[in-house]
Amino acid sequence: MSDPRILRLRLNGQPLEVSVPPERILLDLLREELNLTGTKRGCDLGTCGCCTVLIDGRPTLSCLTLAHLVAGREITTIEGVTPATGLNPVQKAFVELGATQCGFCTPGFVMTAGALLREHPHPTRQQIADAVSGNLCRCTGYSKILDAITAASRGP
Amino acid sequence: MDPVSTEPKLRLLGGRIPYIEGPLKVSGRAEYTDDIKRPGMLVGRLLRSPHAHARIVSIDVTEARQIPGVHAILTGEKYPTQFGVLPITHDETAIAVEKVRYIGDIVAAVAARDEPTAERALAAVRIVYEPLPEYTDPHVSAEKVASPIHSRGLNGTNIQKEVIQHFGDVDAAVASAAHVVRVRGRFAGVTHAFTEPLVTIAESTPDGRLTVWSATQVPHYLHRALSEVLGIPMHRIRVIKPEVGGGFGGKSDPLPHEIACAALALETGRPVKMLFDREDVFLTNHGRHPTENDVRIATDADGRILAYDIEALIDGGAWSSFGTVTTYYNGVLSMGPYRVPNFRYRGRRVYTNKPPSGAMRAHGGTNIRYSIETAIDELAERLNMDPFDLRERNALPPNSTTVNQFRITSTSFVKCLHAARERSGWDGKHRRLPYGRGIGLGCGFYISGSNSPIHFTPKMPQCTVHLKVDMDGGIAVHSMQADIGQGSNTLMAAIVAEVVGVELDRVHVVRVDSDVSPIDIGSYSSRVTFMMGNATRKAGEAMREQLLHAAALLTGYPTERLEVGLERISVKHRPEVGVSYLEALHKAMERTGALLATGSYTSPPMGGDFKGARAGTAPAYSFGAYVAEVDVDVETGEYRVPKVWAAFDCGRALNRLAVEGQIEGSIHMGLGQVMGESMNYRGSRLLNPALLEYKIPMPQQMPEVECLLVGDADPEGPFGAKEAGEGPLIAILPAVGNALYDALGVRFTDLPITPDRVVRGIEQRTAAHRSWKGA
Amino acid sequence: MHLDPFELHRPSTVEETMALARRYSGSFDYLAGGTDLLPNYKMHLNLRPHLIALEDVQELRGHSVDRVGAMTRLGDLERDAAFLRAYPAIAEALREVATPLVRATGTVGGNLFLETRCFFFNQSYFWRQSLGFCLKAEGDRCHVVPQKEKCYATFSGDLAPALMVLDAEAEIHGPDGARRVPVTDLYDARGDGIQRTHLAPGELLVAVHFPTAARARRSAYLKLRVRPSFDFPELGVAASAIFDGETPTELAVAAGGLETYPRRFDDLTQSLVGSPLTDERILDVATRIRGAVRPVHNTFLAPDYRKKMAGVFVRRALTRVREGTAA
Repeated sequence: MSDPRILRLRLNGQPLEVSVPPERILLDLLREELNLTGTKRGCDLGTCGCCTVLIDGRPTLSCLTLAHLVAGREITTIEGVTPATGLNPVQKAFVELGATQCGFCTPGFVMTAGALLREHPHPTRQQIADAVSGNLCRCTGYSKILDAITAASRGP
Repeated sequence: MDPVSTEPKLRLLGGRIPYIEGPLKVSGRAEYTDDIKRPGMLVGRLLRSPHAHARIVSIDVTEARQIPGVHAILTGEKYPTQFGVLPITHDETAIAVEKVRYIGDIVAAVAARDEPTAERALAAVRIVYEPLPEYTDPHVSAEKVASPIHSRGLNGTNIQKEVIQHFGDVDAAVASAAHVVRVRGRFAGVTHAFTEPLVTIAESTPDGRLTVWSATQVPHYLHRALSEVLGIPMHRIRVIKPEVGGGFGGKSDPLPHEIACAALALETGRPVKMLFDREDVFLTNHGRHPTENDVRIATDADGRILAYDIEALIDGGAWSSFGTVTTYYNGVLSMGPYRVPNFRYRGRRVYTNKPPSGAMRAHGGTNIRYSIETAIDELAERLNMDPFDLRERNALPPNSTTVNQFRITSTSFVKCLHAARERSGWDGKHRRLPYGRGIGLGCGFYISGSNSPIHFTPKMPQCTVHLKVDMDGGIAVHSMQADIGQGSNTLMAAIVAEVVGVELDRVHVVRVDSDVSPIDIGSYSSRVTFMMGNATRKAGEAMREQLLHAAALLTGYPTERLEVGLERISVKHRPEVGVSYLEALHKAMERTGALLATGSYTSPPMGGDFKGARAGTAPAYSFGAYVAEVDVDVETGEYRVPKVWAAFDCGRALNRLAVEGQIEGSIHMGLGQVMGESMNYRGSRLLNPALLEYKIPMPQQMPEVECLLVGDADPEGPFGAKEAGEGPLIAILPAVGNALYDALGVRFTDLPITPDRVVRGIEQRTAAHRSWKGA
Repeated sequence: MHLDPFELHRPSTVEETMALARRYSGSFDYLAGGTDLLPNYKMHLNLRPHLIALEDVQELRGHSVDRVGAMTRLGDLERDAAFLRAYPAIAEALREVATPLVRATGTVGGNLFLETRCFFFNQSYFWRQSLGFCLKAEGDRCHVVPQKEKCYATFSGDLAPALMVLDAEAEIHGPDGARRVPVTDLYDARGDGIQRTHLAPGELLVAVHFPTAARARRSAYLKLRVRPSFDFPELGVAASAIFDGETPTELAVAAGGLETYPRRFDDLTQSLVGSPLTDERILDVATRIRGAVRPVHNTFLAPDYRKKMAGVFVRRALTRVREGTAA
């Protein structure tokens, strides 16, 4: 292993200082070292979106991100968008409208959807479909995912 | 069993019930196998064969073993016991013994402190192979071969299973027929591509026990296979199924890596995790078989089906897996939804030196259905009949028996046809849309659970459910039924809540754990709703009885005068006289403490008296009729499916949210097989073992889906329900194929139908077909 | 899947970058967004012991209608409304690159210098070893066109054809100074899937510049692929023109996804300049371009089909440019 170096960033609103080697991938740092297992490892090659996290608010593939290259940035994982009690509006809509089946892709979709709604509070169905087109779901056929994101955009 | 018409009005069931574990899944708190860490856990890795077919001359692990951080290396000879999901075709080993049978076959397993060390160790294993002839063409495998892949092949061939069935007199029927249509189709292999990769953790502890956590649909079969191969009695093995990220049949065999991982745990005395990357998952495969079907259908002048004559050559890959079942299903699952008075089938499944095929959603019923529905569409054309009319004329009636003695009880197939026809505006569209646009009909038929459970004497229940309730009033539900995302835990909880008369949040489904969960044989063959549902209902009724007796003691009224409401038991017609659920519970507990109740399901005897008679027998069958519209770019061959009307008979839909989800997801998966999913081989080599090059449809490709749940209650299903997990996939494939015909006048008999094939089809269209719209 | 260890360098100026490039000459890769490089590294494809991350290099940042820094994220450019209005072909190409998640990290420079792709190259170490390594990584033969001299891996970037038809220029810095070349001339027509650009070792794309006239061009980009996201182009065609009435005074067509390099077809489109752009003329040129391209069987769709579609897509792109319906 090459030299570990100190990495400083903000993770889910808290400062973090951790020693990691240059080749460490963000997904591995989150899951294996920090035990933030809500971010899923589906393919490890950027082809499923299960590992989506926010970097400075933008949905990003943590499996294709070197940990050191997010130094100084704000990382938000699924743990960081889940309220201490209950669920956020996107999460609630996913549960109530059946947008999660096996659930393995779901955290990634929740991250992508949340960022979409911050950028476009009232997206069209086509915009939603385009926005989640980097997240693979094998269970739902996407229909109820698009329904849930639409519902979340309309508020409670 | 009670006639359904007397069912009391249902409070929860029949509505839209969000998944009880949904909040955990959307917050990343649901625990999947890879989320589990055990103290001192090692990394398990596998060495795979670079040869498609070779004898292992020698394996030398001396150097690999000396690498610091390597804890164990295993090769095949330590656990040579063969296993497999079907007891009659045990032909797999955890790690290859003496020979390898496909590129990717496991030849060694290592446990090391981390991934790089494990990989270094595997690179240091020295193996000498002696290559053998490779068999990748199923036609070649069906003949006598120089070096059979397995010793069990039929008469020196690579034929793993041959099924020959003949009912009635097909030749006479064909001779008397007014029309005979023949469709030959070739189907590429497809695979499940669940999002959660295969992963197993195993831990052996000094008390002599072995615990295995695994992403599996069949924890009980895994339990048995571990015991048989490792030589450890079942009671010393504990199998836990955490949350599973999709299966679709790809986690329904006990798999070699699960056993290899456990073997490494035994070897090291440490927990070992074996997590697959995508290539590993693709190489493990067990997906839908590449198939060649040759189907002839004969009708009389009025379009009544006289006979089916079917031949199939099925490419099984390296192992048997579910293949014997596949070979039967590819024939017998054509026995519905139409009445077929004469039937002949010859199916052969051959071994080839490719990743093994197995069971995938709508196993055995998908490719053959595509060929049949294509032929039916062509027959309608020749008979100058509407495809709906032709199908309705031939519909199997309720309470009938097929020529191979399947017992058909409920069917709402005709209702499906009517609903799909009406809602889609079919009569104004079929053959009337402009060139390039089309509408098509496809139908489906599938088992609702197999009457012939794997591994059991028929006397043992296929599913058992235990309930336990203590003074807190929470009801713990135990069963080995495996929720893999389809919503079976939610259904189980809802049935308990419905029957016992409590709020849904009182019910806790306990994670599958062989130490506490009574046996259910797993999530496959669309059996869970039907079998688990009935078992759960019985368990709930047994619990309810205990509460009613307690309430009788408290109120002084006999149980016949009492009725169970929500969280309350009261006197019929006198709702003010009664006791709360908790009062009844605490009274009942005075005698025994915590209450226990059990329920189970065993399917009734059925099927004929001939070889293979039980294949395809089921306590009920699902039916479907789908209409799809297509919009083709006739120059590039690219097409969209903008709208699908999916009429489905799953009996009474107990959770409409889940049923719709199954239908929409099935349509997505079925569209994948039509539009581009394909395991592409060059010889024995899989060219696309990656999600980037395996073309699962994207959200922009999904049609608007209108689900039409028109099924009448089934007499034996729980609250009238039948399956909705696999059957919903079948009809979409021919619906799109037939819509493409309506759009273009080209019959696409092979799958997938990629744009290049569409263009070629248009170019090769015969002059006769150019007038298909009567132009 | 883990990465093998490497040393990670993070220069903050082009000058520092050049110094590192000199020091580690022959043993480094530039790391831009990483969405192409890191999957290849995870598959152990042509690993180098040093990665020079361009993340912090000031000169590579920023985007305007005139200049796009090489490290501009595709997702950021996609949100620059003025830029998208100016260059419809780029707007269309951007939307079609991979997925929104890849575009969040992927960069303009990375897309222009995407590693060429092939079924026999983009595979795991195990896969490639079991078949026998190929010319492009550790081996000495080609599995697509069996021979030992030339690699047929396909150039699969979407942006290059669009930039080519807009006469965009690349600002290149190297150990020996800076130079500007048309994007079209970055790519080596006589090279192959391995030697595919005219960049000298260590040379770095700093920015892409657009001539003022580029904004006068109508343009379009059309992409063929199996799925509307994720997939690399099986074919990507860009076209642009400046019109005087119905007559183009400037016109260009370029294509990627077909051969080892993206290619602009000036020799074949010359005849379209100076006379009205009729259907017949478009069809004639489309047919000639179709005849000129040589796809091989190393992507998902069959090469004869891709070749045929090259003609269709060129015709459609030119027709759209003529109708002004692009973007």
